[in-house]
Amino acid sequence: MAAPARDLPAVATTRGAPPRRGPRDVPRFLLLCLLALVFLAPMYWMITTSIKPETDVISTPTQWFPARPTLENYREVLTSPDGNILRWMWNSFFVATVYTVLHVALCALTAYPLARMRFPGRDAIFWFILGSLMIPGVITLIPSYLMMIRFDWINSFHSLIWPGLAGAFGVFLLRQFFMGLPRELEEAARLDGANSLQVLWHVILPLSIPSLVTLAVFAFMGSWNNFIWPTFVITDLDKLTLPVGVNTFSQRYVTEYGKLMASTAIASVPVLIAYLLAQRYLIAGLSTTGMKE
Amino acid sequence: MSLSLPRENVPPRRRRSFENSGLTPYLYLLPFMLLFLVFVVYPVGYGFFVSLHRWDLLAETRPFVGLEYYRNLFDFSTPQAQFFWNSMLNTGFFTVVSVPLLVAVSLGLALLLYRPIFGRSFFRAVFFLPGILTVSVMGILWRWMFDNQIGLVNAVRTDLLGMQPLPFLSTEGLAWVPIVVGTLWWTIGFNMTLYLAALGNISQSLYEAAEIDGATAWPKFRFITWPLLGPVTLFVFVTTVLASFQLFGQTLVITNGGPNRTTQSAIQYITEEAFTNNQFASASAMSFMFGLAMLIFTVLQFRIMARDAREGT
Repeated sequence: MAAPARDLPAVATTRGAPPRRGPRDVPRFLLLCLLALVFLAPMYWMITTSIKPETDVISTPTQWFPARPTLENYREVLTSPDGNILRWMWNSFFVATVYTVLHVALCALTAYPLARMRFPGRDAIFWFILGSLMIPGVITLIPSYLMMIRFDWINSFHSLIWPGLAGAFGVFLLRQFFMGLPRELEEAARLDGANSLQVLWHVILPLSIPSLVTLAVFAFMGSWNNFIWPTFVITDLDKLTLPVGVNTFSQRYVTEYGKLMASTAIASVPVLIAYLLAQRYLIAGLSTTGMKE
Repeated sequence: MSLSLPRENVPPRRRRSFENSGLTPYLYLLPFMLLFLVFVVYPVGYGFFVSLHRWDLLAETRPFVGLEYYRNLFDFSTPQAQFFWNSMLNTGFFTVVSVPLLVAVSLGLALLLYRPIFGRSFFRAVFFLPGILTVSVMGILWRWMFDNQIGLVNAVRTDLLGMQPLPFLSTEGLAWVPIVVGTLWWTIGFNMTLYLAALGNISQSLYEAAEIDGATAWPKFRFITWPLLGPVTLFVFVTTVLASFQLFGQTLVITNGGPNRTTQSAIQYITEEAFTNNQFASASAMSFMFGLAMLIFTVLQFRIMARDAREGT
């Protein structure tokens, strides 16, 4: 935190704008460049390693740039008999999509009466659900695993979808949002003879798209990145999700870093694309804030 | 939009008598509550039940043994107790070391970035980017960065700085370096984004007023920025501590708990006890101990934070 201190001192500022562009910003800019270099180094090392032949990976002195670039590692990883990385990607995508749709629907159905109806026991039920946020996940890990054995759901996507579906956070998020919606719209729809399900579908949900999308993004990311649970309930190579599958490569190719880096590069592509697509909105949002001077 | 009649006055009872039976809200809640009871509430009780019995998956009978497995955790002559508390201490050590860094460095980055500078969007993207990778990719990446012989870190040390390579991954103590550095690299962008949003909400006029009074950088940070960031810092701190307790993937992939179990996390040991040694009852007892420790720590944390917040105002 020494760095911002150096260029913060106020020298006769023109009123209003936080100015201090120009030469005072050079140290800050250089520091940022250095940090960016450090942050990007692993990515650089990943990509260059992935296109080196295995002998060049372990050569000394270190090969900073790949001397004989090759796609051999990618070819081997993609056609490996030890597991199909594209298959794992599809599994992750399939599970995350099904989970997200069901989770958002379930949370909306649950949050709706909790937010907009009066009935005995409503608050007790809400606090009961919310209280589950206090239960550390590790406590249910082993009993849930024993349940999956009994349900015969080991190596089945059922075990990746159902147990995590009833999450309190989603109910809480949507309930808070639903409560803020104006009553008048709902009552107008009621007067037109709409039943509660129609009110939910035609009035509440269309107005709640921002919070539904937020919840969906959280749910999808959570499922996509889940590592602990699938590690134990899925053991069939064909049914692994991407994070677990990539990790089996890491145990198999302990010293073959060229192949490992090719597999991590492939595994990064879908999230990178998703990020780049979202970033257009992100940059638009960011560039309008704080650039006002 | 002047139809704000109280609900009781709405003309009701069109065909759907069910709507007025009073059962509707419960019907909406039914699917969630079923799943919630089966997959959230029941496992907690079931896990405790398992921890009180000798639980062999293949055995016919599972005799009740009471709190034996909990008592065993305090019998330090057994390897289980030693490994378990060792893994608890490792997780605690990781939390104590990484959380202050995760909070301070992300705040530092946010302070560097919140005022306009050439390439700001690019820098933000660069610092945020690692967070989108899954933990296994991040782990493999950092295991390779710190590889004992030919990782990038050792390449820089030997080829550029003329030092001897350090076997980070197989040296006790040093093996934490790739784990902590990797976690910093992986998670800092998210905290930074939260801080950036909060910094953007601080009114510029406060700084101008302070400048008129002749305040320099440090007082401005100490008396304006830091107090106003209080709520975000609390949020970042609590979520980061909880995430650090969950340490599992980083140590599993980077060091596999080694060398000599010095980086084995609590969750990794509990899962080893359950799924490798098939000691489900013992592992259940351990998860309850671990869960209890987490719960106590979280409650204490909130207590202290709440007190600080009161005193701060």
